[in-house]
Amino acid sequence: MIGAPVLRLSEVGKGFHGTTVLDDVSLDVPQGQFVALVGPSGAGKSTLLRLVNGMYVPDRGTVRTLGENPAACSRSRLRALRARVGFVFQQFGLVGRLSALENVLMGSLATLRLPRYGVMSYPRALRVRAVEHLDRVGLADQRFQRCDTLSGGQQQRVAVARTLLQSPELILADEPVASLDPAASVLVLEILKRISAEDGISVVCSLHQIEFALATADRVVALRGGRLVLDEPAAGLTADRLRAIYDAAGARDG
Amino acid sequence: MVSTTSTRHAPAEANPGPLRPPWSARAFIAAGLLGAAVAVTWLTFWWIGLSPASLAAGLGDTARLLARMWPPDLPGAGDVARMIAETLLIAVAGTGLAVLASVPLAFTAARTHRGPRWLRSAARVVVVLTRAVPTLAFAILFVRIFGLGPLAGALAVAVHSVGMIAKMLADAVEEADPVPAEAARACGAREAQVAVSTVLPRVFPALTAIVLYRLDINLRTSAVLGVVGAGGIGVALQTALGSLNYHRAAGIICVIVVLVLLLELLSVAIRRRTRAGRSAGDTTGTAALPAGRAPHDVGWDRGRALRVGGAVATGVVFLVSLWSLNPDPGRLSGAWTNLSAVLTGMWPPAFSGELLMAVLESLLMALGAAAAGAACGLVLALLTAVNTTPWRPLSAVVRVLLVVVRGIPDLVYALLFVAALGLGPFAGFLALWISCTALAAKFFADSLEQLDPLPHEALTAAGARRWQAFAAGIWPQFVPSFTGNGLFVADLAMRESVVLGIAGAGGVGYLMQESIATLRYDTTAAIVIAIAVVVYAIETLARIARRHLL
Repeated sequence: MIGAPVLRLSEVGKGFHGTTVLDDVSLDVPQGQFVALVGPSGAGKSTLLRLVNGMYVPDRGTVRTLGENPAACSRSRLRALRARVGFVFQQFGLVGRLSALENVLMGSLATLRLPRYGVMSYPRALRVRAVEHLDRVGLADQRFQRCDTLSGGQQQRVAVARTLLQSPELILADEPVASLDPAASVLVLEILKRISAEDGISVVCSLHQIEFALATADRVVALRGGRLVLDEPAAGLTADRLRAIYDAAGARDG
Repeated sequence: MVSTTSTRHAPAEANPGPLRPPWSARAFIAAGLLGAAVAVTWLTFWWIGLSPASLAAGLGDTARLLARMWPPDLPGAGDVARMIAETLLIAVAGTGLAVLASVPLAFTAARTHRGPRWLRSAARVVVVLTRAVPTLAFAILFVRIFGLGPLAGALAVAVHSVGMIAKMLADAVEEADPVPAEAARACGAREAQVAVSTVLPRVFPALTAIVLYRLDINLRTSAVLGVVGAGGIGVALQTALGSLNYHRAAGIICVIVVLVLLLELLSVAIRRRTRAGRSAGDTTGTAALPAGRAPHDVGWDRGRALRVGGAVATGVVFLVSLWSLNPDPGRLSGAWTNLSAVLTGMWPPAFSGELLMAVLESLLMALGAAAAGAACGLVLALLTAVNTTPWRPLSAVVRVLLVVVRGIPDLVYALLFVAALGLGPFAGFLALWISCTALAAKFFADSLEQLDPLPHEALTAAGARRWQAFAAGIWPQFVPSFTGNGLFVADLAMRESVVLGIAGAGGVGYLMQESIATLRYDTTAAIVIAIAVVVYAIETLARIARRHLL
């Protein structure tokens, strides 16, 4: 059921302008697993995710994503790797003036050679698939609506559908629900969870609400001050225990 | 809510529903605008006889003229200082007079005005008219009425500035929160008291920003007012060009360029400072009461001393500038007879076929130059904006170049091209093209940098190529500001093309200059009306297009 790791971080370190953001982090993520990455802001969650798809390059240690080392890839190879890795942003990253469908279609750009502008500039087969993915996130009827007229939760679902059009083998989600109200948050996390389970896609999702992490994830990984302080299956954890471990780690740091 | 599809690709595949987006008015307007821009550019090229050969010949002539201008011959330091001082004082006096007239005008023209309707409409007409007719057109008229010299220039600056300051201030007044005004009215305050106590304090920062912005524009304008004899350093330029003393003309142009660039640096520094002051949370005004002060006394702290000192200094500079215009009573009384002669001569306005053709020529020059300038400006903007530039050092070089090109008033370009290529719209088009390109490049680069960077980042993270990420993540966001700024450039080009005509570069401005020189004020009146109508029409079209595209 769980195969070879899709993601392997070995003793990874990263700093910016002399401040250490990640310190000696090692992590294996097998296929199909939903990993929640928790920790306060500044703990290094976003940096970790951006190391995985090569937006940042580690200072120390190695990252292997889907068998590739993004830091050592050529430009075209890095593009090919990124096409296999979905990324969901806190602020969605949609073009508000364009329709939901066109935003979803942009997920397929890596498979196309030329720049595209307008829904009709994409091949019909891609449009059919994009509508399917919009249907999967429950927004097929809003396909021609401008994204800036959708609610925050709906926009994030469009962003998830865009990621799905990449047919990703790994999805990275950077605080995908931090800008959403609780109901929309639950819905978006349910969708991510369902995709992970149905399609066997690994998901690494950073969250700062412990309750969401415990309710959604297979496994919880906690960062604090750039170091990994906890890595356990979600089943055995309770919110109180997580907080206790957390506070203890904080006390050690202090 | 979420559809409960249990298997991966089941129902949507059978019937995916519509895959073609419905037609929208927006697409039609965008296509129409693009088509119109291409058509107008083509028409302009045909009208002025622009072809690769004529362009090459024209640039060759210009290069020969520039060679003849070398080396520049600077006037003496004392002369330069006097001319610069006169130029600056014209701008300050004109702007100050405009502010005095604009504040009551803006409150009357604002939608929140509670007086009689006709008064509001009259105020709006004044605003529209003064804004539509360029400073230089007023300057020609005022030189006729008040005689040669800085007085005519300052009044021309003042009258044209009234339109813009009053319009922007009226917008600020309309945007101000109405509740405090209601509260003051509920206490029984008069309308004038309501305006002064509740609205004025809140629009004061906007007023300061508007006035500084306008002063910046007026300083540039006053450098070229002398071309029609309205004082300042431009007089020396016109004298030098008129007497074919090209070395001296080049020297004066150098002085103008350095002056304008220094003013640009100054205004950038001021803007940066005010922004820094605001973001640092200036708390000097809200400090606790200093010890030993009566509770009913405002007292003095550093902030208040600076504010009052600044206000007094501004007032003194303004008075000095007024005095420097030399408004002696004898001259002013002579102006009355001139004024009545001009005004009675203006009625009835005499429209003619020649005039309409000249208006059309100005319009074509402006729109063609704006369209060509927007196209070139877009390329330059993509090279300079930090989020689209292919290479940072190139961006810095182009940026500096653009500041210099923009710093030179377009009337100077027009004078040069007229001297090199002779009278006619070709010279005007080239001058406008250069200034539109530089202006468009600045507007476009600024708005490109303000776009949300996240869609581009998201597409890069999904493996899109550079051009793909630009076309899908940046360009669609940029379309509204591209259109809006492009239309704004066309709007400015229309006003400028009239001005360039005054220097002999084709169009209606040339006719206006001629009509005043030959005392045909009825033609002058018709031209002013035609300019106002065309400028207002373009502005209205631009506003409508912008509203439907954003």
